[in-house]
Amino acid sequence: MLGEFEYLLISASARLGDRAYGAAIRHEIERACNERCSVGALYTTLDRLEKKGLIETWMGEATTQRGGRSKRMVRVTAKGTREAAAFYRAVVRSSQGVSWQTNPREDRS
Amino acid sequence: MTAAAGWLADRVSRLLDPDERDAVRGDFAELGITSAQAVVEVLGLLMRRQAALWTEWGPWLALVGVVIPLGALLGQLSWSWADGSAIYTFLYVNNWTWAYVESPGARRDLLDVGTRVCLNDLALIGWSWTTGFALGSLSRRTLWVTATLFCLVVFVVFGFSSGTTARANPFNAAVFSLPFYRVRYPWLVLTGLVLLPAMWGMRRSRRSASLPLIPTLVGFAVIALLTVSAARTLELFAIGHWHLTRLDPSPDGFAEHGGWFRPLRLLPLLPLWPVAFIVASACWRRLRGQPASA
Repeated sequence: MLGEFEYLLISASARLGDRAYGAAIRHEIERACNERCSVGALYTTLDRLEKKGLIETWMGEATTQRGGRSKRMVRVTAKGTREAAAFYRAVVRSSQGVSWQTNPREDRS
Repeated sequence: MTAAAGWLADRVSRLLDPDERDAVRGDFAELGITSAQAVVEVLGLLMRRQAALWTEWGPWLALVGVVIPLGALLGQLSWSWADGSAIYTFLYVNNWTWAYVESPGARRDLLDVGTRVCLNDLALIGWSWTTGFALGSLSRRTLWVTATLFCLVVFVVFGFSSGTTARANPFNAAVFSLPFYRVRYPWLVLTGLVLLPAMWGMRRSRRSASLPLIPTLVGFAVIALLTVSAARTLELFAIGHWHLTRLDPSPDGFAEHGGWFRPLRLLPLLPLWPVAFIVASACWRRLRGQPASA
Protein backbone atom coordinates (compact mmCIF):
# COMPACT_ATOMS: atom_id res chain seq x y z
CA MET A 1 0.00 0.00 0.00
CA LEU A 2 1.22 3.51 -0.84
CA GLY A 3 1.86 6.19 1.75
CA GLU A 4 -0.14 9.40 1.42
CA PHE A 5 2.80 11.48 0.21
CA GLU A 6 3.67 8.76 -2.32
CA TYR A 7 0.09 8.93 -3.56
CA LEU A 8 0.21 12.74 -3.82
CA LEU A 9 3.43 12.50 -5.83
CA ILE A 10 2.12 9.84 -8.21
CA SER A 11 -1.15 11.65 -8.79
CA ALA A 12 0.68 14.97 -9.43
CA SER A 13 2.98 13.19 -11.91
CA ALA A 14 0.02 11.51 -13.63
CA ARG A 15 -1.81 14.84 -13.92
CA LEU A 16 1.26 16.60 -15.38
CA GLY A 17 1.92 13.79 -17.88
CA ASP A 18 4.89 14.63 -20.14
CA ARG A 19 5.55 17.82 -18.16
CA ALA A 20 6.17 15.95 -14.87
CA TYR A 21 9.52 16.88 -13.31
CA GLY A 22 10.80 17.95 -9.85
CA ALA A 23 9.76 21.62 -9.67
CA ALA A 24 6.42 21.09 -11.46
CA ILE A 25 5.48 18.16 -9.17
CA ARG A 26 6.45 20.17 -6.12
CA HIS A 27 4.28 23.07 -7.31
CA GLU A 28 1.31 20.71 -7.89
CA ILE A 29 1.63 19.13 -4.44
CA GLU A 30 1.89 22.54 -2.72
CA ARG A 31 -1.15 23.77 -4.65
CA ALA A 32 -3.18 20.66 -3.74
CA CYS A 33 -2.25 20.55 -0.05
CA ASN A 34 -1.67 24.24 0.73
CA GLU A 35 1.51 23.15 2.47
CA ARG A 36 5.22 23.50 1.74
CA CYS A 37 6.86 20.50 0.14
CA SER A 38 10.61 20.21 0.79
CA VAL A 39 13.11 19.13 -1.83
CA GLY A 40 14.31 16.44 0.61
CA ALA A 41 10.86 14.85 0.88
CA LEU A 42 10.31 15.12 -2.88
CA TYR A 43 13.58 13.61 -4.10
CA THR A 44 13.86 10.84 -1.50
CA THR A 45 10.27 9.81 -2.25
CA LEU A 46 11.01 9.83 -6.00
CA ASP A 47 13.94 7.47 -5.33
CA ARG A 48 11.80 5.17 -3.20
CA LEU A 49 9.01 5.02 -5.78
CA GLU A 50 11.51 4.35 -8.56
CA LYS A 51 13.05 1.52 -6.51
CA LYS A 52 9.58 0.01 -6.09
CA GLY A 53 9.03 0.27 -9.87
CA LEU A 54 6.08 2.66 -9.51
CA ILE A 55 7.69 5.48 -11.51
CA GLU A 56 10.54 5.94 -13.99
CA THR A 57 12.86 8.95 -13.94
CA TRP A 58 15.51 10.28 -16.31
CA MET A 59 17.42 13.50 -16.84
CA GLY A 60 15.63 15.81 -19.27
CA GLU A 61 16.65 18.90 -21.19
CA ALA A 62 18.12 22.06 -19.68
CA THR A 63 16.29 25.39 -20.00
CA THR A 64 17.42 28.99 -19.58
CA GLN A 65 14.63 29.48 -17.00
CA ARG A 66 16.51 26.91 -14.87
CA GLY A 67 19.92 28.53 -15.35
CA GLY A 68 20.87 25.95 -17.97
CA ARG A 69 20.29 23.02 -15.61
CA SER A 70 18.59 19.72 -16.45
CA LYS A 71 15.23 18.50 -15.14
CA ARG A 72 14.59 15.16 -13.48
CA MET A 73 11.66 13.94 -15.56
CA VAL A 74 9.10 11.52 -14.09
CA ARG A 75 6.72 9.01 -15.67
CA VAL A 76 4.25 6.82 -13.77
CA THR A 77 4.54 3.12 -14.67
CA ALA A 78 1.60 0.73 -15.14
CA LYS A 79 2.34 -0.74 -11.71
CA GLY A 80 2.34 2.79 -10.24
CA THR A 81 -1.03 3.52 -11.82
CA ARG A 82 -2.50 0.28 -10.34
CA GLU A 83 -1.12 1.05 -6.86
CA ALA A 84 -2.41 4.65 -6.94
CA ALA A 85 -5.85 3.45 -8.12
CA ALA A 86 -5.93 0.90 -5.28
CA PHE A 87 -4.99 3.58 -2.76
CA TYR A 88 -7.68 5.93 -4.11
CA ARG A 89 -10.34 3.19 -3.91
CA ALA A 90 -9.31 2.39 -0.35
CA VAL A 91 -9.60 6.07 0.66
CA VAL A 92 -13.02 6.36 -1.02
CA ARG A 93 -14.26 3.12 0.64
CA SER A 94 -12.97 4.09 4.05
CA SER A 95 -14.52 7.56 3.72
CA GLN A 96 -18.01 6.30 2.91
CA GLY A 97 -20.56 7.27 5.54
CA VAL A 98 -18.14 9.61 7.26
CA SER A 99 -19.10 13.23 7.64
CA TRP A 100 -16.10 15.52 8.08
CA GLN A 101 -18.13 18.38 9.44
CA THR A 102 -16.64 19.41 12.76
CA ASN A 103 -18.68 19.99 15.87
CA PRO A 104 -18.63 23.79 16.61
CA ARG A 105 -18.34 23.01 20.36
CA GLU A 106 -15.20 20.89 19.82
CA ASP A 107 -13.76 23.66 17.67
CA ARG A 108 -14.18 26.16 20.50
CA SER A 109 -12.48 23.86 23.03
CA MET B 1 24.83 38.07 3.39
CA THR B 2 23.18 36.97 0.11
CA ALA B 3 26.57 36.38 -1.50
CA ALA B 4 27.70 34.33 1.50
CA ALA B 5 24.47 32.29 1.42
CA GLY B 6 24.90 31.75 -2.32
CA TRP B 7 28.46 30.53 -1.80
CA LEU B 8 27.31 28.24 1.03
CA ALA B 9 24.43 26.87 -1.07
CA ASP B 10 26.92 26.13 -3.85
CA ARG B 11 29.35 24.34 -1.46
CA VAL B 12 26.61 22.33 0.24
CA SER B 13 24.99 21.24 -3.03
CA ARG B 14 28.36 19.83 -4.17
CA LEU B 15 27.77 17.02 -1.68
CA LEU B 16 24.92 15.78 -3.93
CA ASP B 17 25.46 13.50 -6.94
CA PRO B 18 26.11 15.57 -10.13
CA ASP B 19 22.73 14.74 -11.77
CA GLU B 20 20.78 15.36 -8.60
CA ARG B 21 22.67 18.61 -7.98
CA ASP B 22 21.73 19.80 -11.47
CA ALA B 23 18.05 18.91 -11.02
CA VAL B 24 17.78 20.39 -7.52
CA ARG B 25 19.55 23.66 -8.34
CA GLY B 26 17.50 23.98 -11.52
CA ASP B 27 14.32 23.54 -9.45
CA PHE B 28 15.49 26.25 -7.05
CA ALA B 29 16.15 28.64 -9.94
CA GLU B 30 12.74 27.92 -11.47
CA LEU B 31 10.83 28.28 -8.19
CA GLY B 32 12.75 31.43 -7.19
CA ILE B 33 14.05 29.94 -3.94
CA THR B 34 16.51 32.17 -2.05
CA SER B 35 20.07 31.02 -1.33
CA ALA B 36 19.41 30.82 2.41
CA GLN B 37 16.34 28.61 1.80
CA ALA B 38 18.36 26.55 -0.67
CA VAL B 39 21.00 25.81 2.02
CA VAL B 40 18.31 24.59 4.42
CA GLU B 41 16.59 22.50 1.73
CA VAL B 42 19.80 20.86 0.49
CA LEU B 43 20.87 20.10 4.07
CA GLY B 44 17.47 18.50 4.64
CA LEU B 45 17.89 16.38 1.52
CA LEU B 46 21.40 15.30 2.57
CA MET B 47 20.18 14.36 6.04
CA ARG B 48 17.32 12.29 4.61
CA ARG B 49 19.75 10.57 2.25
CA GLN B 50 22.14 9.77 5.13
CA ALA B 51 19.28 8.51 7.31
CA ALA B 52 18.19 6.17 4.51
CA LEU B 53 21.74 4.81 4.13
CA TRP B 54 21.98 4.06 7.85
CA THR B 55 19.11 1.55 7.56
CA GLU B 56 21.66 -0.85 6.02
CA TRP B 57 24.18 -2.91 8.03
CA GLY B 58 27.40 -1.66 6.39
CA PRO B 59 27.70 1.76 8.10
CA TRP B 60 26.83 0.22 11.51
CA LEU B 61 29.48 -2.49 11.12
CA ALA B 62 31.95 0.24 10.12
CA LEU B 63 31.03 2.23 13.22
CA VAL B 64 31.10 -0.62 15.75
CA GLY B 65 33.86 -2.70 14.16
CA VAL B 66 36.24 -0.04 12.85
CA VAL B 67 35.55 3.52 14.02
CA ILE B 68 35.29 2.90 17.76
CA PRO B 69 37.82 0.11 18.48
CA LEU B 70 40.46 1.00 15.89
CA GLY B 71 40.03 4.75 16.23
CA ALA B 72 40.64 4.39 19.97
CA LEU B 73 43.60 2.02 19.51
CA LEU B 74 45.30 4.14 16.85
CA GLY B 75 44.72 7.35 18.84
CA GLN B 76 46.30 5.80 21.95
CA LEU B 77 49.09 4.12 20.01
CA SER B 78 50.15 7.22 18.09
CA TRP B 79 50.68 9.14 21.34
CA SER B 80 52.50 6.30 23.12
CA TRP B 81 54.48 5.42 20.00
CA ALA B 82 55.57 9.06 19.65
CA ASP B 83 56.76 9.21 23.26
CA GLY B 84 58.64 5.93 22.89
CA SER B 85 60.44 6.94 19.73
CA ALA B 86 61.01 10.52 20.96
CA ILE B 87 63.57 9.22 23.44
CA TYR B 88 65.63 7.55 20.68
CA THR B 89 65.19 10.50 18.30
CA PHE B 90 66.43 12.80 21.07
CA LEU B 91 69.32 10.45 21.78
CA TYR B 92 70.46 9.99 18.20
CA VAL B 93 69.49 13.33 16.60
CA ASN B 94 69.84 15.96 19.34
CA ASN B 95 72.86 14.28 20.88
CA TRP B 96 74.52 12.86 17.81
CA THR B 97 78.16 11.80 18.13
CA TRP B 98 80.24 9.68 15.74
CA ALA B 99 80.93 7.39 18.68
CA TYR B 100 77.52 5.82 17.93
CA VAL B 101 78.99 4.49 14.70
CA GLU B 102 82.60 3.97 15.70
CA SER B 103 81.97 1.82 18.79
CA PRO B 104 80.82 -1.71 17.78
CA GLY B 105 78.44 -2.00 20.75
CA ALA B 106 76.86 1.43 20.18
CA ARG B 107 76.60 0.70 16.44
CA ARG B 108 74.69 -2.51 17.15
CA ASP B 109 72.36 -0.60 19.48
CA LEU B 110 71.81 2.08 16.82
CA LEU B 111 70.96 -0.54 14.20
CA ASP B 112 68.71 -2.40 16.60
CA VAL B 113 66.81 0.73 17.68
CA GLY B 114 66.60 2.07 14.10
CA THR B 115 65.18 -1.23 12.81
CA ARG B 116 62.68 -1.49 15.64
CA VAL B 117 61.43 2.09 15.24
CA CYS B 118 61.15 1.69 11.45
CA LEU B 119 59.26 -1.62 11.76
CA ASN B 120 56.90 -0.15 14.37
CA ASP B 121 56.30 2.92 12.18
CA LEU B 122 55.62 0.72 9.15
CA ALA B 123 53.20 -1.39 11.21
CA LEU B 124 51.34 1.75 12.33
CA ILE B 125 51.14 3.00 8.73
CA GLY B 126 49.92 -0.43 7.57
CA TRP B 127 47.22 -0.67 10.26
CA SER B 128 46.05 2.88 9.53
CA TRP B 129 45.88 2.31 5.76
CA THR B 130 43.96 -0.96 6.11
CA THR B 131 41.65 0.64 8.69
CA GLY B 132 40.92 3.48 6.25
CA PHE B 133 40.36 1.05 3.39
CA ALA B 134 38.03 -1.20 5.42
CA LEU B 135 36.10 1.86 6.61
CA GLY B 136 35.68 3.07 3.04
CA SER B 137 34.62 -0.38 1.77
CA LEU B 138 32.05 -0.90 4.52
CA SER B 139 30.53 2.56 4.36
CA ARG B 140 31.09 3.86 0.85
CA ARG B 141 28.19 6.33 0.71
CA THR B 142 28.34 7.26 4.40
CA LEU B 143 32.11 7.66 4.36
CA TRP B 144 32.14 11.38 5.10
CA VAL B 145 30.17 10.67 8.31
CA THR B 146 32.12 7.57 9.41
CA ALA B 147 35.46 9.21 8.49
CA THR B 148 34.57 12.28 10.58
CA LEU B 149 33.60 10.04 13.52
CA PHE B 150 36.83 8.04 13.10
CA CYS B 151 38.93 11.25 13.26
CA LEU B 152 36.88 12.40 16.26
CA VAL B 153 37.54 9.14 18.17
CA VAL B 154 41.25 9.30 17.27
CA PHE B 155 41.51 12.93 18.44
CA VAL B 156 39.56 12.34 21.67
CA VAL B 157 41.66 9.32 22.68
CA PHE B 158 44.84 11.08 21.54
CA GLY B 159 43.85 14.12 23.64
CA PHE B 160 43.33 12.00 26.75
CA SER B 161 46.58 10.05 26.33
CA SER B 162 48.66 12.60 28.17
CA GLY B 163 50.44 10.22 30.55
CA THR B 164 52.77 7.50 29.26
CA THR B 165 55.47 5.37 30.82
CA ALA B 166 58.09 7.33 28.90
CA ARG B 167 56.86 10.67 30.28
CA ALA B 168 56.43 9.32 33.81
CA ASN B 169 60.06 8.15 33.88
CA PRO B 170 62.19 10.92 35.48
CA PHE B 171 65.22 9.78 33.44
CA ASN B 172 63.46 11.04 30.31
CA ALA B 173 62.78 14.51 31.75
CA ALA B 174 65.37 16.11 29.43
CA VAL B 175 63.54 14.82 26.35
CA PHE B 176 60.08 15.98 27.37
CA SER B 177 61.28 19.34 28.67
CA LEU B 178 61.67 20.28 24.99
CA PRO B 179 58.40 21.60 23.50
CA PHE B 180 59.10 19.78 20.23
CA TYR B 181 59.03 16.31 21.83
CA ARG B 182 56.38 17.20 24.38
CA VAL B 183 53.83 18.73 21.98
CA ARG B 184 54.73 18.78 18.28
CA TYR B 185 56.28 15.34 17.86
CA PRO B 186 53.11 13.40 18.90
CA TRP B 187 51.08 15.49 16.42
CA LEU B 188 53.60 14.74 13.66
CA VAL B 189 53.33 11.02 14.41
CA LEU B 190 49.53 11.18 14.53
CA THR B 191 49.34 13.02 11.21
CA GLY B 192 52.08 11.19 9.34
CA LEU B 193 51.60 7.63 10.59
CA VAL B 194 47.86 7.48 11.29
CA LEU B 195 45.68 10.19 9.71
CA LEU B 196 47.34 10.52 6.30
CA PRO B 197 47.66 6.74 5.70
CA ALA B 198 44.05 6.23 6.87
CA MET B 199 42.83 8.91 4.44
CA TRP B 200 44.92 7.38 1.70
CA GLY B 201 43.24 4.02 2.40
CA MET B 202 39.78 5.63 2.34
CA ARG B 203 40.61 7.37 -0.94
CA ARG B 204 41.79 4.10 -2.43
CA SER B 205 38.57 2.36 -1.41
CA ARG B 206 36.56 4.96 -3.39
CA ARG B 207 38.07 3.56 -6.60
CA SER B 208 37.22 -0.05 -5.77
CA ALA B 209 35.77 -1.68 -2.65
CA SER B 210 38.02 -4.70 -3.19
CA LEU B 211 41.67 -5.21 -4.16
CA PRO B 212 43.26 -7.82 -6.48
CA LEU B 213 43.78 -11.12 -4.61
CA ILE B 214 47.54 -11.73 -5.01
CA PRO B 215 48.76 -8.24 -3.93
CA THR B 216 46.22 -8.38 -1.08
CA LEU B 217 47.61 -11.72 0.16
CA VAL B 218 51.18 -10.37 -0.03
CA GLY B 219 50.08 -7.23 1.84
CA PHE B 220 48.35 -9.38 4.47
CA ALA B 221 51.52 -11.43 5.00
CA VAL B 222 53.66 -8.28 5.34
CA ILE B 223 51.28 -6.61 7.82
CA ALA B 224 50.92 -9.86 9.81
CA LEU B 225 54.74 -10.08 10.10
CA LEU B 226 54.97 -6.41 11.11
CA THR B 227 52.22 -7.02 13.70
CA VAL B 228 54.08 -10.01 15.14
CA SER B 229 57.27 -7.96 15.37
CA ALA B 230 55.40 -5.08 17.02
CA ALA B 231 53.14 -7.24 19.20
CA ARG B 232 55.01 -6.76 22.46
CA THR B 233 55.45 -3.02 21.93
CA LEU B 234 51.78 -2.80 20.98
CA GLU B 235 50.71 -4.36 24.29
CA LEU B 236 52.89 -2.03 26.33
CA PHE B 237 52.13 1.14 24.42
CA ALA B 238 48.41 0.54 24.22
CA ILE B 239 48.08 0.48 28.00
CA GLY B 240 50.08 3.71 28.29
CA HIS B 241 50.99 4.75 31.79
CA TRP B 242 48.80 2.13 33.47
CA HIS B 243 51.42 -0.57 33.20
CA LEU B 244 53.68 1.41 35.53
CA THR B 245 51.04 2.41 38.03
CA ARG B 246 49.34 -0.97 38.32
CA LEU B 247 52.31 -3.28 38.70
CA ASP B 248 51.80 -5.85 41.46
CA PRO B 249 55.00 -6.65 43.39
CA SER B 250 55.60 -10.39 43.70
CA PRO B 251 56.96 -12.04 46.88
CA ASP B 252 60.52 -12.00 45.54
CA GLY B 253 60.33 -8.22 45.25
CA PHE B 254 60.17 -8.08 41.45
CA ALA B 255 57.25 -6.21 40.01
CA GLU B 256 54.94 -8.17 37.76
CA HIS B 257 51.67 -7.54 35.97
CA GLY B 258 48.46 -8.79 37.50
CA GLY B 259 45.94 -11.00 35.72
CA TRP B 260 44.23 -7.93 34.24
CA PHE B 261 47.18 -7.59 31.85
CA ARG B 262 46.76 -11.00 30.15
CA PRO B 263 43.82 -10.20 27.81
CA LEU B 264 46.05 -7.57 26.21
CA ARG B 265 47.98 -10.43 24.60
CA LEU B 266 45.05 -10.61 22.16
CA LEU B 267 45.42 -6.93 21.25
CA PRO B 268 47.50 -7.53 18.08
CA LEU B 269 44.46 -9.31 16.62
CA LEU B 270 42.50 -6.04 16.64
CA PRO B 271 44.47 -4.10 13.99
CA LEU B 272 44.64 -7.30 11.92
CA TRP B 273 40.88 -7.59 11.47
CA PRO B 274 40.62 -4.90 8.72
CA VAL B 275 43.37 -6.80 6.86
CA ALA B 276 41.40 -10.04 7.26
CA PHE B 277 38.28 -8.25 5.98
CA ILE B 278 40.15 -6.94 2.90
CA VAL B 279 41.49 -10.46 2.14
CA ALA B 280 38.04 -12.01 2.63
CA SER B 281 36.41 -9.51 0.24
CA ALA B 282 39.17 -10.05 -2.36
CA CYS B 283 38.64 -13.86 -2.09
CA TRP B 284 34.86 -13.41 -2.32
CA ARG B 285 35.19 -11.31 -5.48
CA ARG B 286 37.55 -13.85 -7.02
CA LEU B 287 35.11 -16.70 -6.22
CA ARG B 288 32.23 -14.78 -7.79
CA GLY B 289 34.37 -13.95 -10.81
CA GLN B 290 34.10 -10.18 -10.30
CA PRO B 291 37.09 -8.09 -11.39
CA ALA B 292 38.88 -5.85 -8.87
CA SER B 293 40.69 -2.77 -10.05
CA ALA B 294 44.47 -2.73 -9.53
